Amino acid sequence: MARLEKVDVVVVGAGASGSVYAAVLAKAKKKVVVLEQGPDWQLSDLISSDLWGRRIKTAGAPFLLEGRNPVGYSYQSGWGVGGAALHYFANFPRMLETDFKVKSEFGRGLDWPIAYKDLAPYYDKVASDVGVSGDAKAEEIWRPAGKPYPMPPMKTFRNGEVWLKGFAAQNIRIVPAAVGMNSTDYKGRPACIYDGWCHIGCPTGALSNPLVTYLGEARKAGAEVRPWSTATRVLTTAAGNRVTGVEYYDRDGKKQFQPASVVVLAAWAAQNPRILLNSANGKHPKGLANRSGLIGKYIMTHYASGTWGLFDENVENHMGTTGAQYMSYDRYPKTSHQGAFGSTFIVAGTALKTNDLGGFANARLDLFGAELHAFMKRAARGLTRITAFGEEMPNVENRVELATDKDEFGMPLGRIVHSYGEDVPRIWNANFAEGTKIAQAAGAMETWPARGAIPTIHLMGGTIMGTGAGNSVVNSLGQTHELGNLWIAGPGIFPTSGASNPTYTIFALSLRGAERLAARWKTVAA
Amino acid sequence: MEHIMKRRDFVRGAAAGALAFTVGGAQVLLTAREARAEGVPFRLLKADEAETIEALGETLLPGARAAGVAHFLDQQLSVPPGEALLQARILNVRPPYVNFYRAAVGAVDKASLVYNGRRFAQLDTGTQREFVDLMRQGKLEGWVGPPGPFIYFVMRSDAVDVVYGTMEGYESLGIPYMAHIPPHKRW
Repeated sequence: MARLEKVDVVVVGAGASGSVYAAVLAKAKKKVVVLEQGPDWQLSDLISSDLWGRRIKTAGAPFLLEGRNPVGYSYQSGWGVGGAALHYFANFPRMLETDFKVKSEFGRGLDWPIAYKDLAPYYDKVASDVGVSGDAKAEEIWRPAGKPYPMPPMKTFRNGEVWLKGFAAQNIRIVPAAVGMNSTDYKGRPACIYDGWCHIGCPTGALSNPLVTYLGEARKAGAEVRPWSTATRVLTTAAGNRVTGVEYYDRDGKKQFQPASVVVLAAWAAQNPRILLNSANGKHPKGLANRSGLIGKYIMTHYASGTWGLFDENVENHMGTTGAQYMSYDRYPKTSHQGAFGSTFIVAGTALKTNDLGGFANARLDLFGAELHAFMKRAARGLTRITAFGEEMPNVENRVELATDKDEFGMPLGRIVHSYGEDVPRIWNANFAEGTKIAQAAGAMETWPARGAIPTIHLMGGTIMGTGAGNSVVNSLGQTHELGNLWIAGPGIFPTSGASNPTYTIFALSLRGAERLAARWKTVAA
Repeated sequence: MEHIMKRRDFVRGAAAGALAFTVGGAQVLLTAREARAEGVPFRLLKADEAETIEALGETLLPGARAAGVAHFLDQQLSVPPGEALLQARILNVRPPYVNFYRAAVGAVDKASLVYNGRRFAQLDTGTQREFVDLMRQGKLEGWVGPPGPFIYFVMRSDAVDVVYGTMEGYESLGIPYMAHIPPHKRW
């Protein structure tokens, strides 16, 4: 194994969280290396096609997916520089105050060791850094006041507007969606042109993917990004009290060791535990930072109740963004639905394409043959959708563990075991029932629920934060309780999931962690 | 052949989105529809496998056969998994993807033989439709292989990809494609 020159920080993963750490630390004059297992995508690689968009989904070692509700890993995942944030929808809702104190307020789930007020300044900072469009004032019916967003709300289109009457009839308040996209030119990046190709990677720079935000800043500040570099282990000193760097395989399949003063694992909620478990040694026989046995535990996802409405007008469903035009937290209180516990977050107005998982060909999976052709023609004119995302409570049985099969580098594959608890189908069904009422009140000619297996959307947990090594893996900054120079970033450190899209919170948590790491550098890296 | 390209053009075209087929030992860039029309030989699929895929595709979405569903799959199955544009990639199918398709085609033909005494491609269109309807609902007893509803979902998606996932497909529905970076050769 070749031993490379020591650097200050090695970050594993060039997605949303890794890019923030790389930017903050490179700007703090630290020598930063970012290891990314996939290609070094450029904006010019982001071809406008659902077929070609699949290239930026995982092509790494597969995860074995088990449990009653196996995680839809591949669709959510990223592959290459930018990670999953290269194809995210850039919906930027925050978590709310109640999300941080679920255990103490309701006796369910877990508490975060921080409160909303600790994260709020970082939500505001991220909004300024990457550019957020929305109406912060309007959101204050649900959350404490913060800074205004730097850009006004995005344009709306009929595929979103047609729902407003239905929401009003159900007494659901709706406001412009906060999104990480440009409604106006911002920081040298152009305004969005609303052509609905966000989900396969926005090549114009209007959407705040890492390439045009933090990772771009990191590179400018001198961070080195090494694509095609697959991390397999984090190594420690003989005493086991400090990490010394990362073992990885380079693009030629050669094993390398990158020594570093600090290691930041930012390889997403499933891969981080896989690497930590695979890093077991004599001093850490259960895996690094795993004295609690909680590495890999409390994996969580969101689920969605999508309601389709077919309207007798041209709703221009090709226009807009893949994310949302409108959002509502009116069903966010944990006990909004009788007999079930968990938040619901509602969005409306999304641009539709024909194919791929989110394409409208899948709106009626029962149709095939000539009937499918006929449906496609009708749907192209009048089909639109609202979506209610639901919260899953953390369950220690939902986990990532190592399997016996190995990948091309001899590293055990990861297995994700995931089953929903009894609250989930109740909330899922309640949201369908409400969605149908909204669609009917909105005047849809036809409406139907997007049923099937309960979906799994986003991925959180696996290396949760808490107050100490007895109940968690990391502190609120992402620093592991056991190894001071080993940090973990990303949605894996969430102890509860809320119901809102996670990436804004990932950015905010990562910024908070990275700034503290830079401020405490001498202590942490010593 | 007019599609034969110089290396520089090939690299540029491939990066932009054309599919690379091998004709007479030369790499050419074609759409799957063109590849089928020109009778480009399959790289991986056997003739009977391609025949079943085309018949399934045509049942799931008329027009898929002419749109080159079998050539599309054959070309995609022959490239490294990291370069594949298949829906199977995002549905957690474990590479190499050809294993799934071989198992799926085998399961369909085996069940068709049991139920109808003939391979799927040899059934009349009405019987093919009845078979697919039962397969999608998991109602074919004694099924062996990947679950019928999953095969339905994956191969229906493949058919939709080649018919409606292209710029021509959008045009046929009257939807403006609005590409930032257009897929070369309408892919």
